[in-house]
Amino acid sequence: MEDHVLSSVHSTVFKESESLEGKCDKIEGYDFNQGVNYPKLLRSMLTTGFQASNLGEAIDVVNQMLDWRLADETAVDEDCSEEEKDPSYRESVKCKIFLGFTSNLISSGVRDTIRYLVQHHMVDVIVTTAGGVEEDLIKCLAPTFKGDFSLPGAYLRSKGLNRIGNLLVPNDNYCKFETWILPIFDDMLKEQKEENVLWTPSKLLARLGKEINNESSYLYWAYKMNIPVFCPGLTDGSLGDMLYFHSFRSSGLVVDVVQDIRAINGEAVHATPRKTGMIILGGGLPKHHICNANMMRNGADYAVFINTGQEFDGSDSGARPDEAVSWGKIRGSAKSVKVYCDATIAFPLLVAETFASKRDQTCEPKT
Amino acid sequence: MSDEEHHFESSDAGASKTYPQQAGNIRKGGYIVIKGRPCKVVEVSTSKTGKHGHAKCHFVAIDIFTSKKLEDIVPSSHNCDVPHVNRTDYQLIDISEDGFVSLLTDNGSTKDDLKLPTDEALLTQLKTGFEEGKDIVVSVMSAMGEEQMCALKEVGPK
Repeated sequence: MEDHVLSSVHSTVFKESESLEGKCDKIEGYDFNQGVNYPKLLRSMLTTGFQASNLGEAIDVVNQMLDWRLADETAVDEDCSEEEKDPSYRESVKCKIFLGFTSNLISSGVRDTIRYLVQHHMVDVIVTTAGGVEEDLIKCLAPTFKGDFSLPGAYLRSKGLNRIGNLLVPNDNYCKFETWILPIFDDMLKEQKEENVLWTPSKLLARLGKEINNESSYLYWAYKMNIPVFCPGLTDGSLGDMLYFHSFRSSGLVVDVVQDIRAINGEAVHATPRKTGMIILGGGLPKHHICNANMMRNGADYAVFINTGQEFDGSDSGARPDEAVSWGKIRGSAKSVKVYCDATIAFPLLVAETFASKRDQTCEPKT
Repeated sequence: MSDEEHHFESSDAGASKTYPQQAGNIRKGGYIVIKGRPCKVVEVSTSKTGKHGHAKCHFVAIDIFTSKKLEDIVPSSHNCDVPHVNRTDYQLIDISEDGFVSLLTDNGSTKDDLKLPTDEALLTQLKTGFEEGKDIVVSVMSAMGEEQMCALKEVGPK
């Protein structure tokens, strides 16, 4: 009798399991006995588990975005043009990459990672918020400093210091920005009146990129590389404050958002035969705006989200890629990953294992 | 009537119509020029230096001639134009057919280039008082080359 109970308990606790051998990857972390080898360390993340694995998968997805060529698609549409059937043309057609990020990342050092991507034309379309633009320009005029999350607000206010997380931006930086930008708005208003220029947020930003003329600015490189920067929420930041003040002295500057929505949706719709990929850091406007544009072409083919948002409140910021699939913003067949991580950690590491390492491979070795 | 006939023109070629003053020093009740119009300040609020840049003064003011509300925002260290506003009293002599009034100046000559006021209440008070034969003294406000009757008082029965 006892034996029967014992064997029944035994079979409950030690329930026969399905073998995962060959079906799933084994978990194995990096072995520091092989020394400190950073590329190997980063590659080991894929099998380390939790968000390290998600980052490893994100690296894979981005490499797939970068490796894809139209030539990989074997099924050739009968009604595509002669050019599209030409093999060497098909070898040249690459994935179109949309990069979105929130302004806090530009206040941080990730700005320099983004500048690298834009400088080498590694992304095709950028979407960000007003802060994502002005913080980049202001850094060319005066630096941002490292502070601490715990610095008391009232004390900082009395010293004229603005806190962004554990970063500090002195008020004076914004004063310099004001002095720099107001004459540019005057010129733009003049061009609007005399040359019938109709400004849009993306045209305005291209102009600011041209005017800042500083190689540390991603906006400068976006202007040089003809990469459009979309910012439908242009007024929601210091830029908006400047537009507001400018309108008192010299009113009439018009910034048209309608033309820009045509432009960004056009980037998605007319991307075909190229595939599209989205790399989105953070949530909010940049995340939704890019996904929405891709919805116009029945969904992106690749998606990487790096953010700390949670889905339990139903927010779009915290929504997983699968929610976007339900909207047609990401294709059902697409490769997508969400990395739950602060982008200041995840993104430079991701770029190291994707964009930067591929570029290092194609460039001549340094002597 | 007097030996000298001075023509006091409404715009003085020599003296300036405005003078500069730092925006931070202009108070409620003072005067300021906004979009070329002379205005009386009804509200001033200052926003301290911050994300929006330098400290700024936000003025809400009323055009002294048209009573329109105008707004301006100026960095507090900048200079603004403040109009010279003068009030002069004249005795009313006559109201003409074509909408002008004839006034007696201090030195006994007449000033005939002032239009009737646009303000309904003032206009009615002026016309009634004049028709009743009352002695009327009008106050004329002038600034930046413009002038307008702004008040009147009846001085004793005839």
